[in-house]
Amino acid sequence: MNTRFRLFPLVSLLLTCLPICLPAQDWVHTGTNLGNDRIRIAAADFKPVGQDPQTPALKAAFDATLYSDLNSAGIFDLVSKSLIPQTTPGSPQEINLAQWSAAPSNAAMVAFGALSATNGRLVVYGWLFDTRNAASPQVLGKQYNEIANQDMARTVAHRFADEIILRLGGGINGIAETKIFFVSSRSGTKEIWEMDYDGQNEHAVTHLGTISLSPRISPDNSRIAFASLGREGWAVRMYSLELGRMVNFPAGTAGGSNQSPAWSGDGSKVAFSSSRSGDPEIYIADASGGNLRRVTTFRGPDVAPCWNPRTNAQIAWVSGRTGLPQIYTMDQDGANIQRMTDGGYAISPSWSPNGQFLTFSWNRKYGPGAPGGQDIYFMDIASKRWLQLTHESGSNDYPSWAPDGRHIVFERSIGGHTQIWSMLADGTEQHQLTHTGNNFMPNWSWK
Amino acid sequence: MMDLLNDGERLERELTPEPIAAPAMGSLLLHGALAACLFAYAIIGGLFHHNNWGNPGSGGAIQVNLVSSALPLPSDQPPNQNVLATETPSKAPAEPSPKAKQAVDETAIPIATKQKPQPPQKQTASKTSQHQPQPKQDNRAQFGEQSGSSIPRSTMAKGSTNGPVTVANGDFGSRFGWYVEVIKRKVDQNWFRAEVDPRTPRGASTQIYFRVSRQGVPSNFKVNVSSGSPTLDRSCLRATQRVDTFGGLPAGSNDLWLDVTYDCTY
Repeated sequence: MNTRFRLFPLVSLLLTCLPICLPAQDWVHTGTNLGNDRIRIAAADFKPVGQDPQTPALKAAFDATLYSDLNSAGIFDLVSKSLIPQTTPGSPQEINLAQWSAAPSNAAMVAFGALSATNGRLVVYGWLFDTRNAASPQVLGKQYNEIANQDMARTVAHRFADEIILRLGGGINGIAETKIFFVSSRSGTKEIWEMDYDGQNEHAVTHLGTISLSPRISPDNSRIAFASLGREGWAVRMYSLELGRMVNFPAGTAGGSNQSPAWSGDGSKVAFSSSRSGDPEIYIADASGGNLRRVTTFRGPDVAPCWNPRTNAQIAWVSGRTGLPQIYTMDQDGANIQRMTDGGYAISPSWSPNGQFLTFSWNRKYGPGAPGGQDIYFMDIASKRWLQLTHESGSNDYPSWAPDGRHIVFERSIGGHTQIWSMLADGTEQHQLTHTGNNFMPNWSWK
Repeated sequence: MMDLLNDGERLERELTPEPIAAPAMGSLLLHGALAACLFAYAIIGGLFHHNNWGNPGSGGAIQVNLVSSALPLPSDQPPNQNVLATETPSKAPAEPSPKAKQAVDETAIPIATKQKPQPPQKQTASKTSQHQPQPKQDNRAQFGEQSGSSIPRSTMAKGSTNGPVTVANGDFGSRFGWYVEVIKRKVDQNWFRAEVDPRTPRGASTQIYFRVSRQGVPSNFKVNVSSGSPTLDRSCLRATQRVDTFGGLPAGSNDLWLDVTYDCTY
C-alpha cells in the first residue's frame, strides 16, 4: 500500500522528464553536381534621402566602398555597374525584383537601400534580397547610425559588406574591417604603419626614429610586436595600440639579435627568434614576457616562426640546418619536426586560419645563373602538394594570410621599389595596395 | 631489568593465549564479504550493456578529423594537375600543335629560275658552349591557361545539369534558397573526390541524411541511400561531418532544426 503511493510521484517525475518533441521542423534536399558558380550579386546605388549637402559625397564613398568590398570578397560574381537597372530603390516597397533577375543583370541577389546625412548623423538602411524568391525575398535588413564623415561612410559600407559576406559565404567572417600592418620607409626611417585592407587610410603607428621590422598584431588587436634596432642591438618590442605607447617585453631584450615575433592564436604566447646563445634559435615566452623557454637546439639559424592559429600547438619556421633555408613544422614543445620544402630557398611561412595550408616565399631554382625567381607558394600541409601563386613579376616575399582564409597579402619588389600587394589564395585578383615610398613586411590582422 | 614487571604479571601475560579466534573469524568474514562483493559486481555489471568498443558514435574517444584540403573559394574550373596559378584562367583550348610540313609533290615539273650568285660565306668563330646548362623555363603558363587547381577547391565535377539548385520540397527551400546554397557549398568544399575508389562508375550517387540545429551545427549523420560503392558512401558522409557550422538558421524560420538529405554524385 505504501509502495503504490511512493511510486506515483516517481512515475510522474519520470514522465515529466520525457523529451517533448515540437513538430516545428523542416527539410530540404540538395547535393553536388548542381552547379558551384560564384553567387551573382548586384550592388545597387543607394538612394540618397534628404537635402543635406553632405549626402552626395558620403553616398559616393559608400557606394564605391561597398562595390569594391563585394568585388574583392572572392566568392561573388559582381554584376557590373553598366548592366544593372538604372533605378535606386530605397526600400523593399520600391524594388522590382523581376527587373534585377532578368537580363542583362541576371542577379541572384541584390543589395540596396537608402542613405541620408542629416544634422551630422549618417543613417543608412540596407537590405539584401533574393531575386528569385518573390514570396519572401529578404535575406538581410540592416540599419546603421553613425557620425557623418567620409571615414564612417566607408566603415558603414565595410560593415554592410561583411554582413553580406558572412551570410552568403558560409559562415566565414568578411575581412572588410580588418587592417594590414606593414613597414614603410617613406618618412625617412623604417616605421610600423597601418592601413585598411583595401589600401585606404594609411597612417604611421610608431615614431621611434630607428629601424623597426616584421610587425605582428596580437589576436585581440591590442598590441603590435615587432623587432627594433636599439642600443643593445635587435630586440623584440611591444607597442600598445590602446595606450598609444611602447610597453615592456622583457623576454625580447636579452643579448644577441631578437627578431621575427609571432603571436599564438589565443594571444597568450609569443614565439621569436633569438641568437642570445650564439646561434639563432626559436624561443617562446608569455605575452607579458615571462616563462621564456627555448624550443630548437640544432646548429644552423632558426628564424621566422609562425603558429598554427587553429590549434595553437604547432609552429612553422625557417631553418638553415641543412644549408639553404627550408620550411619546417614542429609541435610547440619542439617535438615532431617535419620538413616541408625539399630544396631551393624557402622563407617567410604563414599558416592559414583553418590550420591546413602554409604560404611562403620560395625560390625553387636557387643558385648562381639559375633562372626562376622568388615567388609566393601555397602548400597543403597534410599532402605537401603545392601551388605557385605568382610568376614572373618581380621578387615576392613575406606573405600573410587574411583571417577569412581566402586572401593573401605580400610584398613585391620590382626594380628596387617594394610595394604591398594582395591577392586571392588561388593567385588571381592581384592588386597593388601601396604606392608611395617603399613598403614591405605586411601582416594581416586577425579580425 | 625484570623488576619492571611483577613475576606474576609476567607469567600471566605469557600464559594467557592471544585471542585468535574472534579476529580470525572477523578477518575471514571480511575477506569473504569482499570476495562476494567483487563477484556480485562482476555479475551485475555484466547485466548492463556498456558501449565501449566498436559501436557507432564517438563513445568518448578522441575524434580524429581528416584534413580536408579545400580552399574556401569557388572554383570555375574542373580540378586539374596544373601547379601554376594564373590571373586569367580561361576555358579556351591550348595552342594548336604546329602544322605538319606539306609533302613535296613529286610529279611537279621544276621551273628553271635564275641562279643568284651566292654571297661569300662569312667565317664566324663557333660560339663557346655555355657553362651553365639552361634548364627548361616552366614558369610560364601556357596559352589557354588553366587555373592552378592542383589544390582542390570544390572537387565536384560539372555534370550535365547546369541549372539552378532544385530544392523544391519543403517550404524552407523556397523561402530560404540562399541558405540551402550555403549548405550545398560548404559540404561541396569538404568533399574529397580523391577518397573515392576510381572504379566507382560515373554517376553513382549516395544520399546522406543529417540534421542542422538552430545554431547551424550538423549532427545525426547517416547514409540514407547507398550508391553501391562503400568508398563513395564513406567519403560523402565524411564531407558532411567535416563542416563545423553552416551559420545559424535564418531568422525568419521558426524551425528548431532542419533535416537535410544530400546527394553526392561521383
